[in-house]
Amino acid sequence: MPCALLGDRASGKTTFLGLLYSAQVKYGTGVQDDFRFHAPIQSLNLMSAVYEGMKDGRFPSATLKEEITELGFIFGYLRKVVGKLPYYIRQQNWARPFSTLRFSAYDVSGEDIEEFIETGIASRPLIQQLLKSVVVVVLVDCSKMTTEIDTPAYKKMLRYDSTVAKLLVAFQTYKKQEYDRLKDSGVKAEAPVIYPAFVLSKFDTLRDDVLARLGLHRGFPDNKRQRKEYAEALLRVFVPQTLSQIRGGKVAGVSMDKAAYFLSWVHTETQEGMDPVGQSKIVRTAFAPEGGGEPDFSYDEYVTFIEHFRDIALKIPDEILESEKFQAQAMVRSA
Amino acid sequence: MPHIVIVGDRDSGKTTFLALLYAAQVKSGVTRADDFRFHVGLESLEEISEVFQQLMSGNFPDSAAKEGVSSITFHIASRKAGLGVLSRRRWRAWNPDASASLHFVLLRNLDDEMARYRTGSSLANTKLRDVLESDAMIILVDSTKLAGLGQEDSAAAMTTYDAAVESLVTAVQRSRGRGSPRRFHPIFIFSKFDSVPKEALRKAQLEGAPPTVRETNRRVAYARAFLDTNLKKTMERITAREIQGVRFVTPSYFFSRVTTEAATGDQKTRVRLRRIEGGGWEPDYSVDEYLALLDSLRKIATEASD
Repeated sequence: MPCALLGDRASGKTTFLGLLYSAQVKYGTGVQDDFRFHAPIQSLNLMSAVYEGMKDGRFPSATLKEEITELGFIFGYLRKVVGKLPYYIRQQNWARPFSTLRFSAYDVSGEDIEEFIETGIASRPLIQQLLKSVVVVVLVDCSKMTTEIDTPAYKKMLRYDSTVAKLLVAFQTYKKQEYDRLKDSGVKAEAPVIYPAFVLSKFDTLRDDVLARLGLHRGFPDNKRQRKEYAEALLRVFVPQTLSQIRGGKVAGVSMDKAAYFLSWVHTETQEGMDPVGQSKIVRTAFAPEGGGEPDFSYDEYVTFIEHFRDIALKIPDEILESEKFQAQAMVRSA
Repeated sequence: MPHIVIVGDRDSGKTTFLALLYAAQVKSGVTRADDFRFHVGLESLEEISEVFQQLMSGNFPDSAAKEGVSSITFHIASRKAGLGVLSRRRWRAWNPDASASLHFVLLRNLDDEMARYRTGSSLANTKLRDVLESDAMIILVDSTKLAGLGQEDSAAAMTTYDAAVESLVTAVQRSRGRGSPRRFHPIFIFSKFDSVPKEALRKAQLEGAPPTVRETNRRVAYARAFLDTNLKKTMERITAREIQGVRFVTPSYFFSRVTTEAATGDQKTRVRLRRIEGGGWEPDYSVDEYLALLDSLRKIATEASD
């Protein structure tokens, strides 16, 4: 099931994917072996290049657009029951040891979605695929969070809020249309659900005066409920339309209010009292038995992010089957 | 789904009104209490979100944005305190079948439309049906044009508008069959009420700000002191006991204001933004009035769907 990644220009989409890949590599090679991932060759080529660059202290320079339009990973989560079986049985394909989730990031411009927003019809297969996403990851760039209303950053955030709100409503509308179509065709389907995930990117650049004004401290809580409250305090101020439409989805018949929140930061080299000239360099971790020379980033948050999708991966298959069944029926009918 | 027609004189603030109504929903829709939710139809979101952006940047809607907003649909739901945390109604409040849908139709150039209608032509495009079958009509009264009792010259500023609204209300009345069970809700919005001429207040023997939304009777008297003079024909039509079997619901009144910063040099008049609890900003406007209006619209929608 595809997962869409939405982010403003220069909000750190490629860096996010690079760090996610980095976390996947580390987490996927752990002793527990309950998470695995696979990437198609095109995606792997690009992500390896990004990963290599980061290990060399460089932020990715090329945007996804110049490379490929869809970047995908397949996440595999070891099923709990299977995990208890002997290793030999666990490795057999018939045991279906892993529940999977296809994580795809699309590089699609706002104009590409306009057609659906304006006409309610998504004719391009890529847009249809995007709108089918069950998971929507929204990057919110913390470096643009300001309470100074006459600054370009404030206006950019206003615009971004409108854009994301529209996209989310587009997802809801598409899902609702599909659901109604299924129902009309006599296929029993579950009410549509979208799982939103907000990633507060460049969290280390969030200014202290902004946090103070919002009554927040710098530490992001571990507790799920407190994380939600913390993140929503930021979203309420900087992307209110988006938050209101996430909640409002249920009113329109699409459950979208079970959002999860994550942080992303990567340490960069700074020289005391001086602003860096040009692109800043990524700080790398020292070598240790568990690894080293990795970008110094919010690894735990990325693991939480990967783990968040474990539950979703377990819930989703039924919906995929329904949808695929319907599509197969539709194809038979049209033939 | 109830249709609500918005009418107003030229530059009376129709688009600003809708943008503020949207702003009030966004504000209520993101609270920690999570007791109000709303959804905007995809077809309307582009335009309303554009005017919202403009307001939040301190600007009134520009002409391009005004042209873009012609109709909008909101789906609203609320689960107010008092229902109890474990109440079944509270639990089900967000279900689509428990929400209220409101379809707003904005009628621009009312004078021209009504002049055409009086000569036997239909209202422009397909809005006619929406207007005639509407459940409520929001009548914007530009407070800067209000005059007090005896100020005949000033009252003339409203004469044409009054005639146009009265014609429209009559058309709605005539379009309904005798004994039609559908009720019609007239809602008056005093736009730009922060700029109401002092002379108008004095002549109407009114002082200061309008009574709060809770002071229902005082509020009616306050509003009527202006309307009975300025929109005489409309008020007579709306408050008449019963015409051709159609009865109008007692009108309701709301007062809209947005604090502005005076124009300087080549800069236009700007909307003043104020800090809100939680650290953000919002236009400095009469939010209580808009919340009361939303509640009132929700009740109309619920009644219409029963």
